[in-house]
Amino acid sequence: MATSPGEPEDILRPILNTSKKYYIAFGIAAAVALLWSAVYGWQLEEGLIVTNLADWGSGGGSPWGLYIGAFIWWVGIAHGGIILSAAVRLFGMKRYQPVARVAELLTLGALSMAGLYILVHMGRPDRLVLSVVPAYPWTVRTSPLAWDVTVITLYFVMTATYLGLTIRYDVYHLRDRLPDYLGPFYSLVTLGYSETEEEIIERMVWWLALGIIVLAPLLLHGGVIPWLFSLIPSMPGWDGGVQGPQFLTIALTSAIAGVIIISYALRWGYDWDHILTDAMFRGLTNWLGLFGLLFLWLQLQQVINGVFAEPVAGKTAMVARITQPYYIVAIGTVIVILAYVFAQAVDQRQFSLVRSLTASFLMLFATLTEKVLFVFEGLLYPHFSLYEAVPGHYFPSIVEFSSLAGTISLCTLFFLVIVKLFPVVELHAVEDHHDEHEHEAVHDEEVTS
Amino acid sequence: MSTEDTQDDEPRHPYETEDSFHPLGEEWEDRMREELEDTEYDADLGMQMARDAQRLVAGEISEEEFYAEYHDDVEEEFEADDRPLFDDVDPAEWDDIEDESVAESLAEADLQGDETSRREMMKKMGAGAAFLGYGAYATYDFQPADGAPDNVSSIRPAPKDEREHRWGMVIDLQRCDGCLSCVAGCIDENGTSTGANWMYVFTYENHDSEQENFLVRPCQHCSNAPCAKVCPVRARHTRAKDGLVLTDYETCIGCRYCQVACPYGVNYFQWGEPDVEMSRLEHLDMRPEEVRQLEGGDYDDRDSERYQALSDANDHVYDHRGRWTDSRPPQGTMGKCTMCPSRQDGHTDNPKGTVACMDACDAAGMSAIHFGDLDDPESRANRYLERRTEVERTVLEKWEGEEDEDLDIETTASPTSEISTFRLLEDLGTQPNIVYLGNKPGPNAEQSEPPTPYEVYSGSSNKWGVEVVDERKEHLDYGPSGPPEQEGEEGGE
Repeated sequence: MATSPGEPEDILRPILNTSKKYYIAFGIAAAVALLWSAVYGWQLEEGLIVTNLADWGSGGGSPWGLYIGAFIWWVGIAHGGIILSAAVRLFGMKRYQPVARVAELLTLGALSMAGLYILVHMGRPDRLVLSVVPAYPWTVRTSPLAWDVTVITLYFVMTATYLGLTIRYDVYHLRDRLPDYLGPFYSLVTLGYSETEEEIIERMVWWLALGIIVLAPLLLHGGVIPWLFSLIPSMPGWDGGVQGPQFLTIALTSAIAGVIIISYALRWGYDWDHILTDAMFRGLTNWLGLFGLLFLWLQLQQVINGVFAEPVAGKTAMVARITQPYYIVAIGTVIVILAYVFAQAVDQRQFSLVRSLTASFLMLFATLTEKVLFVFEGLLYPHFSLYEAVPGHYFPSIVEFSSLAGTISLCTLFFLVIVKLFPVVELHAVEDHHDEHEHEAVHDEEVTS
Repeated sequence: MSTEDTQDDEPRHPYETEDSFHPLGEEWEDRMREELEDTEYDADLGMQMARDAQRLVAGEISEEEFYAEYHDDVEEEFEADDRPLFDDVDPAEWDDIEDESVAESLAEADLQGDETSRREMMKKMGAGAAFLGYGAYATYDFQPADGAPDNVSSIRPAPKDEREHRWGMVIDLQRCDGCLSCVAGCIDENGTSTGANWMYVFTYENHDSEQENFLVRPCQHCSNAPCAKVCPVRARHTRAKDGLVLTDYETCIGCRYCQVACPYGVNYFQWGEPDVEMSRLEHLDMRPEEVRQLEGGDYDDRDSERYQALSDANDHVYDHRGRWTDSRPPQGTMGKCTMCPSRQDGHTDNPKGTVACMDACDAAGMSAIHFGDLDDPESRANRYLERRTEVERTVLEKWEGEEDEDLDIETTASPTSEISTFRLLEDLGTQPNIVYLGNKPGPNAEQSEPPTPYEVYSGSSNKWGVEVVDERKEHLDYGPSGPPEQEGEEGGE
């Protein structure tokens, strides 16, 4: 690799300097988030009638729509992010160490947005705590939604712990170069720190990573989130054990895309070409292709199963899905992305950062579209199809669309605040460049090609 | 757990059985006793407290009684009783308290003592917590019908010998002519908003015939209701005593998972402000929490303070538990056909065992809907079902051996066919409590134009002056401001 390895100074730069780009990004994100909060305020006041949701059945609509679709999408990004980071630690994928923390932060940010969507989706958000808590010991045995809330909370705690443990090292070793006005925060983060803990922390983090790798695919996006739908026997479009793996591939695909976008922004903003290298982006692009391929493969399984000899209701639901223009656009987009990914894998000249960035944006668009379609199309083609108003119609209202802009801005704000608090690239990552750079680079090249 | 000694009509709570008061049985109880005996404290007192804690969990004794009972003993044993006096504890907070308060206050008592007893205390606390925690868990798990605190409801009717009724309907589709009187009767009774047709009547044609068929669709009040199962807050629940599937409007968070899980599409969310204001529905000058706090009796207890208040007011909003489950839902919560719980609890002017849609159907001279206790062979529903099948048998018997002509066959299309009964989507395992007499819609059945349009009951044709439409989406799409004024009279078309 021609670039010089990173220095601790590099990873401190975002905290110590504030560029014009930063102010502009912050300003735009804050403005959009504020605007959406006003829109949400209107929804609180008037009720969910400001959305285009309605009752299924004689009502002729879909009671779940963009809000739930976006909720799954954010949770997917979150789960995939932490899986990436855990894989770096467990399997020693050193090439991706510079983005491990970005992936962890993306998990926290995206999970928060998913949590926010639960609130936004509810008719009576004011009752969230008072209604959920008292009945929880009983509902958790029967309601997939209660499982969901449980596991998301568990996940948030695990990720936050993971991050909290790993930043102790960085903050301690960089403390004298970090700004004093954040002193109390750093004292809190490094509370009770001693150099002898490093080995123990490392072990703890390893076990946490193991826990996450086991939990996430089996229980989270491969479990409770798809179970919200696949356990409901009345909606054939949601049926089947394939939903677990399907949700997981979409989560991983979306998360890789998310990590590429944020890493690109960081590299562009802080001239981190030597830390977030082209090689790393190429690797991430390959992973995007691999998971995207799995995503398409599982779609194919569902389509073939649905249209060949399925009972009437299942067939109706599947035929409706594959003839839906948005679905065709989403799947077509993934195919185009895959064409690029495999072209650049075969011929490196086809690779460019901007192309990978574009592919990532398109991928997130495709996965979001698929998620929203999955939710409301499932509801429009129930087993009990006697209602003339079924399938009804649904297209998200401006209020619903604005929530996407709002949550994306909030997540951006989250990152903009975090880059000012502590290094978003691990100190280990730039230190390791010093120690093992030559060796690792050669090794990684062999693994990924 | 013994079940031998439960012959009398009141089901026994596990703590009352002879061999063990603990739901997990004698062995568990013995283990707990051993743990307690390991400590320096009085094991008998611990066991006695645990026994009564079970009663506390079951709601048989109050927190106050529990504390009064043991105050002296605890003080003697631990030289302090810092457990709070629960004068100001709202019963709704019980389950926050039940798992912790005793153990916690025991711990506090200990903290004042010397260091060496702390370990002992932890042991004892563990045993106590195990009792209280597991006690609560096991009680609800094995006996969902009783013992649940006020704010956590069951999702299944109680077993047959423990429930009072299993309300349901027998609907004779051959008697229905699609006049929609039941739909209008329901709207008048409940004040539902435009398009939220809790009672809905399909007019449909099967592919191979031109014949007009009807399917009357209230909520099926399933005995294995998917909507109650998936509710994350137990707002949607099944009343254990009589199997009614209801929504507690004060608990519902409006997530709409019940609507998603219901295979029949009977739920109607209150997307915006309801069309009929609360003041027009409520005859009782009390807030919901005040109603709940009135001294209430058991199911059908006519002497209680709450029953008196509700029946004096001819209330149609609260059920016997003082919970707001009847009439249309408030904004942001889920509504659906309730089978009129305030009537079934006997505190309205309409008699128990009737529902508004049935009354309207009878008044229209159709008598297609027969509501009643499906457990009771003498209920209107069961008697009707029996009579209808009897009629059929008689016709068949008459036909046998006779040659032709002067047979008076009114009710069957063909003398050799038995009248069929069915339940909707029975193979989904929901155990619906609506039994239909007549033809089941085929797989390719299609809804057709109803002979009486829903809009007929709009405006001045119903008690509230609300607009009535078949499909609700268009109406909702107007948003919070509602449809433009001039279109109000014309309906949704």
